[in-house]
Amino acid sequence: MPIVETKGLTRVYGEGSNAVTALDAVDLAVEPGEFVAVMGPSGCGKSTLLNLIGGLDAPTSGSVVIDGRDIAHMSEAEVTALRRRRIGFVFQFFNLIPVLDAAENVALPLVLDGVKAAEAKATAIEWLARVGLQDLAGRKPDELSGGQQQRVAIARALVTDPALILADEPTGNLDSRSSDDIARLLKEVSVTWGRAILMVTHDPRIAAHADRIVFMRDGRVVDDTRIAGAQEARDAMEKVGLL
Amino acid sequence: MTVRHALLGILSQRPGHGYELHEAFEALAGGRALWDVKPAQVYTTLARLVDAGLVKRTASPGDGGPARHVHEITDAGRAEFVAWLGEGVHAEHHRDEFFLKLVLALTTGAADPVGLIKTQRTTLYRDLHELTARRAELVRSGDLAHELLLDKAIMHTEADLRWLEMAEARLGDMVECPLSASPPKRRGRPPGREEHEAPAGEAAGNNKGASSIKESDPCRS
Amino acid sequence: MSAQVTLAIRYLKGRRLRTALTTLAIVFGVMLLFGLNGIIPAMVQSLQSSMIAASGQTDLVVTSASTGLFDAAVADRVGTVEGVEAATPVLRVPVALAPGRYPVGMLSIIGVDPATAGRVRPYPVAEGRFLSEEDAKQDLEGGEATKRPAVVLPASTASALGLEVGDTLEVPSARGVARLTVAGVLKMPTAPGNEEAYMALPVAQALLGSGDRVSEVDATVKAGVDRAEVTRAVQRALGSAYRIGGVEPDSSLFASIKLGGFIINMFGVFAIVMAGFIILNTFRTVVAERRHDIGMLRAIGASRHTIFGMFLTESLVQGVLGTALGIIAGWWVAKLAMAGVGVISSDLLHLSIGRPVFTPGTWVLAIGMGVGVTVLAALVPARAAASITPLEAMRPQAGDRYEKAATHRAWWGVAVIVLAVAGLLSRDTTLVGASSVVFLVGLALVTPALVRPVTDAFGRAIEAVFRREGGLAKANLTRNAGRAAVTASAMMVSVAVIIALLGTFTSVFDGFIGYIDKSMGADFLAVPSNLLLSTGTVGADAALVTAVKSTEGVGDVATLRVGRAAMGGTGLQVIGIDPVAYSKVASFEYSEGSSEAALARLGTDGAIMVNGIFAAQQGLRPGDTLRLETPAGPRNYTVVAVATDYLNAKLATAYVSQAELEREFGVTTDVAIMADARPGADRQAVRAALARTVRDYPQFALYDTREWRDLQVATFRQVYGAMYVMLFVLAVPSLLALLNTLAIGVLARTREIGMLRAIGSTRVQVRRMVIAESLLLASLGTALGMLSGVWLGYSMVDAMNAVGFKMPYYFPYDGLAIALVIGVVFGVLAALVPARQATKLDVVAALRYE
Repeated sequence: MPIVETKGLTRVYGEGSNAVTALDAVDLAVEPGEFVAVMGPSGCGKSTLLNLIGGLDAPTSGSVVIDGRDIAHMSEAEVTALRRRRIGFVFQFFNLIPVLDAAENVALPLVLDGVKAAEAKATAIEWLARVGLQDLAGRKPDELSGGQQQRVAIARALVTDPALILADEPTGNLDSRSSDDIARLLKEVSVTWGRAILMVTHDPRIAAHADRIVFMRDGRVVDDTRIAGAQEARDAMEKVGLL
Repeated sequence: MTVRHALLGILSQRPGHGYELHEAFEALAGGRALWDVKPAQVYTTLARLVDAGLVKRTASPGDGGPARHVHEITDAGRAEFVAWLGEGVHAEHHRDEFFLKLVLALTTGAADPVGLIKTQRTTLYRDLHELTARRAELVRSGDLAHELLLDKAIMHTEADLRWLEMAEARLGDMVECPLSASPPKRRGRPPGREEHEAPAGEAAGNNKGASSIKESDPCRS
Repeated sequence: MSAQVTLAIRYLKGRRLRTALTTLAIVFGVMLLFGLNGIIPAMVQSLQSSMIAASGQTDLVVTSASTGLFDAAVADRVGTVEGVEAATPVLRVPVALAPGRYPVGMLSIIGVDPATAGRVRPYPVAEGRFLSEEDAKQDLEGGEATKRPAVVLPASTASALGLEVGDTLEVPSARGVARLTVAGVLKMPTAPGNEEAYMALPVAQALLGSGDRVSEVDATVKAGVDRAEVTRAVQRALGSAYRIGGVEPDSSLFASIKLGGFIINMFGVFAIVMAGFIILNTFRTVVAERRHDIGMLRAIGASRHTIFGMFLTESLVQGVLGTALGIIAGWWVAKLAMAGVGVISSDLLHLSIGRPVFTPGTWVLAIGMGVGVTVLAALVPARAAASITPLEAMRPQAGDRYEKAATHRAWWGVAVIVLAVAGLLSRDTTLVGASSVVFLVGLALVTPALVRPVTDAFGRAIEAVFRREGGLAKANLTRNAGRAAVTASAMMVSVAVIIALLGTFTSVFDGFIGYIDKSMGADFLAVPSNLLLSTGTVGADAALVTAVKSTEGVGDVATLRVGRAAMGGTGLQVIGIDPVAYSKVASFEYSEGSSEAALARLGTDGAIMVNGIFAAQQGLRPGDTLRLETPAGPRNYTVVAVATDYLNAKLATAYVSQAELEREFGVTTDVAIMADARPGADRQAVRAALARTVRDYPQFALYDTREWRDLQVATFRQVYGAMYVMLFVLAVPSLLALLNTLAIGVLARTREIGMLRAIGSTRVQVRRMVIAESLLLASLGTALGMLSGVWLGYSMVDAMNAVGFKMPYYFPYDGLAIALVIGVVFGVLAALVPARQATKLDVVAALRYE
């Protein structure tokens, strides 16, 4: 069963002659542990898709089914709880709380969920170690580099053991080297820890880490390709310039 | 002849057997996955080098097994190798197989160009996926030289993808006038336009007329 | 700790300067509210304890409905009522001691009947003896120490006066200084600052010149008898001319103290309301700044409730912290103020004031207002924060949606102002006071809608000075009209209060000086130094005025006598004058419909003049008839004029002829003497001669009227000085508001300022831009404050006139000047720190600022 499935997902902004269809009847399913990149020119609806799946925005029509339940039929409190427990968010602008240190930022979703502070912190430090930041647990966000901040954000997204990570241009604000690190970390998240990842990006190099790429244009999915297949890739490589 | 000069380069460090040379070349090029050179090709190339007097072959003292040859570089070979190093290398990206496929698909109508582009994109993304995965392994093993090689491959693939996007976006324009840029017809411009051109040379006329044409003609803009 | 508490505390710690500034605003408000409220109860308590001292110790206390003295024989009538165990007459009068003679200014002279007093109340003796019936026969004139009348002091009084058994106590009396021998010291608790001296009733009566009259009858009820039943029986026996129960304090004096308390509370409430504005402003900006954080928190699973709780916690922490610090600061303010006020009050009122008293009500008010206003002010921004959707975290900052709401609110403001104007026009002091607060609230509501037009008006002036930066500053202000309005409101409230109060004070000042010039026309004055004729003053018998009249060089002499009466349960003082003599040396300030001619009619039977306050209280006009409870029973009078003299301007007062006062009130002693020098006489010599005459009566101070007038003016000035300090303290929070807004404005525009610097603005230009903005903001607040201040001040003076204080309206030129100075100085001052912050900005970092 897919971890998330959208059916005829449509989002229209504005009304009448000003109406803009940001998302037009999108059907998409993401399986557990799958790493999916969503690509397309800006304004193609990829961020809208992510917001709808994350329950941050409500669809005009269609459904988002997460864990077999349609979030359109959930109360706001339920959606909030769902976000807290089943979905992890990673944003372009790291979005860490500036007055909390790295460990506290990571622990935040747990604390919000009512986990005891000490326990939450221990779990947070575990996850910081997994993203390679165990030594920086006590630093405030402004004492961390962009890449490190994004690692903290990823640790925070993972700390509640979510089934799905939603990442909106997670490398959009990083230099290419850090971008690569973050992309590899996300790959590891899907491979090693089995989380499904839905990532919006405009960078082919980052998208190439995914198992599958969904191309969008004008609010529609125009192509949906599986790119992880070792043999085909090798064959292709022979054709493309390396021979 | 890249393999030939690479073998000279390897031999310039120390003499070696044929199979040693094959292995050394593979290590240099980044493994079989990146550049698969068959042993036979190495032996043929070595034979040509010996014929050209750039390498000399001596029998090695066998240690009970079948006799093997040791190859050693000559002074001429060294000179050839250094000369090769000094030359620039042309990229030649304009010799592109996919481009030919695309234009031929457009002119012959034998295949759907949109489908072609889609397939090509998938192919390139798979390559990119493979390259980034491989690169990740190299980063782990600390092989900086081949990491850089893969970076080059990744960058070119990215460029190809970007070009593909551009080609896709302008596919409609290409369908409208696929032949205007086609050399065999040698027509240059559509008829009627010459009346407005100044009788001066073609180049000057092109420059002058450019501003008036640019906005309306998708084939030129 | 839950997530919201941790987050709240971290955010507060992360922005220390802002937290400190916001908290400081609360500290100021609470300090004023708590500190000033600690002073008022202390004054009231001192007064009360000096007046009603030990009345709770007997079962029944009978007083005259007129609040004045009555026949001692009433005690016998009370004693015969069924159920009464014993009854004893008591004469209790607070007396001002000769200035400087003792460390105590005021002493209650208590005359008791030695034969019966002990049956009503215990008088445990610590040392020496209690009064005996022998003491009742002693003559006050006894010159030798052994024959002097006895006085018995409670232990605390003895130590306060520095006297022991056998020592001599000197008190002013109607016949000059009286000397009494301390016969005993009592083990009795007395309220602090309430000193008592017990003596035989005839001695006290002689000393005070009160004939055979007493101020109360104390009685005990037989054991096992229903006290309420006995009370009713006594009331039946005595009739309505007497009241049974505790001694009523001087209600009009209390009323004026309460009015003072009300005004002071208004100061505190203004300050706290301003603090509320500042907090509201700060929190709104904080919410705007933290939109990304809030959206992100919501995205990772924080509920609306968590966000709301986070902001409320922040406000609660600040409120509690600010209130605690404010209470500490207020305690010190009260302590210091008491030291200052103590000097004035013991000089002026002969009232010694103890420590500041913080009633439970004060604590509740300070804590409730401090914490309550803070949390309340954070409520709206917190709700706005909670309604931010997670999606907004991903969007760029939304523009201000304030303008529409502002128009909406402006209409509310107009409605509130209309309501307040109605209140202000009511000419009722309490209503005017309350309405002035409402008026300012209404103005604050209207302000956002006024930002743009007023800024446009001032913008031209600013642009003339800051040619390049002025336009930008103006645009910045109107862009965030809401924030500008809140800041300007705080400034407006300060300025309005300063101008209104200055205008009112000056009007009161001018009015009173006018009273002095009219009613204190005589060359010399012998008056009690406490200025309250009916409290604590021992009159002088005819001997003194005779001596004054026969002093070399003295011409016309007029005296004032005082009795007490009540009307409809409210006490008032009744001043007795000789219409003929009075008109020769002094005059009255006549209200509408009255004239000098009325004075001549005062001699006729049943004629009375009333002062402005009393007329306003009772709605009296010339020609009206009024019914007074006098010590001799109820009596009808006809009002011949509404007029006020200086000495009695502050209290409800009626004027009758001295003949009437003697007949109905039994008063024959003078409490003030006014004398003219004979034409051509040497003023200095006359003064010296008079001083010798008055020397035996230490309750009187002799003044040359000109000198006395200067003294009064100086006293007023002293009080004004304290007021100015208070006004300044009131203005400081508005400086904080400006500073806060500008600092936040600079912070919010970090990126923009970085851009300005990047495209070539110099540091000086950036600083000038911030200063121009600050000046615009300050001038907006000042302009609104000036307008509303002038109007408020006018309303207050109008209300004072309505209440009976006839006074001219003084246009507060000085207040306007001060407001202008404050506006400009604060405008520049508030800009200094943020401007420096803006100029020190690292351009590259600013451009990257998110």
